[in-house]
Amino acid sequence: MTTPSLNRIRVWDLPTRLFHWSLAASFFIAFFTAESERWRDVHVISGYTVGGLLAFRLLWGFVGNRHARFAEFWPTPEKLLRYLKSLFGRHPEHYLGHNPAGAVAILLLLGLGLLTVASGWLTYEEIGGELFEEVHETLGDGMMALVVIHIAGVIASSRLHGENLVRAMISGWKRCPPDENSAG
Amino acid sequence: MRHSLCILAILVSAGAMAQTPRDFLTRFEKEAAAPAVAERGGRFFDATHGNDWSCSTCHTTRPTQPGRHAKTDKTIAPLAPAANAERFTSPAKVDKWFRRNCNDVVGRECSAQEKADLLAWLLTLK
Repeated sequence: MTTPSLNRIRVWDLPTRLFHWSLAASFFIAFFTAESERWRDVHVISGYTVGGLLAFRLLWGFVGNRHARFAEFWPTPEKLLRYLKSLFGRHPEHYLGHNPAGAVAILLLLGLGLLTVASGWLTYEEIGGELFEEVHETLGDGMMALVVIHIAGVIASSRLHGENLVRAMISGWKRCPPDENSAG
Repeated sequence: MRHSLCILAILVSAGAMAQTPRDFLTRFEKEAAAPAVAERGGRFFDATHGNDWSCSTCHTTRPTQPGRHAKTDKTIAPLAPAANAERFTSPAKVDKWFRRNCNDVVGRECSAQEKADLLAWLLTLK
């Protein structure tokens, strides 16, 4: 391990980063193989992979490193409102870990993702007739909509705060301005 | 009088949601602006269309019997309405599965004529 310079901060631990990109890849594979019977086996395997990854993330949200824990970034309505308001002001609030808007996206993706996997499993095992097939498709589309919003948020937040959030999710490191404490 | 009008309206709207296979045949023939030819539908069903799969790969050449998914080996309920009363009763399902299956088998969406022919043939199966 190299010693980090003072203004570089380790934010995302390795399991969180591996989880993030594995989830992104599995979800995209599952989403884009959904329409074809040729890819049905790939769709099912990648969908169950999404389920396994989400189960891990749920656990990691309690035992993971600081910025991976739910307690650290749990978005209360006040925090969310204050953050969103500050974005339009002169001093947009900066969070080292997940900002409250990102946290909402994460929690929604976790919940929606687990429901999507559950309804997909019920469909594939032909439990509950065709009800879950419709539910599954609607949830999957909802997840994709959230992913699009999430990506838009990442781009907007990166520009607003002058930091590269994508790179941080790859390397785990963030640059921290000297005047900023790591309270966020 | 009011009540019977209400009941009529409900019956009509319920009828619009749950259709019969004949309704779909009428719709596809209208869209194709030509009558269906059942034998052509049967040939279309059994033939491959530039890919390795035909309709019959999963649905069998006699779709009054259950089929088998070519990838997952799962049982597929019979496609012919004579053997499965649920087939061709929901517009959403009919459109969705024609779109998906035609893309898998033909590599594009099926034309209204192809759908009309196919359904006409399925309706000849008893």
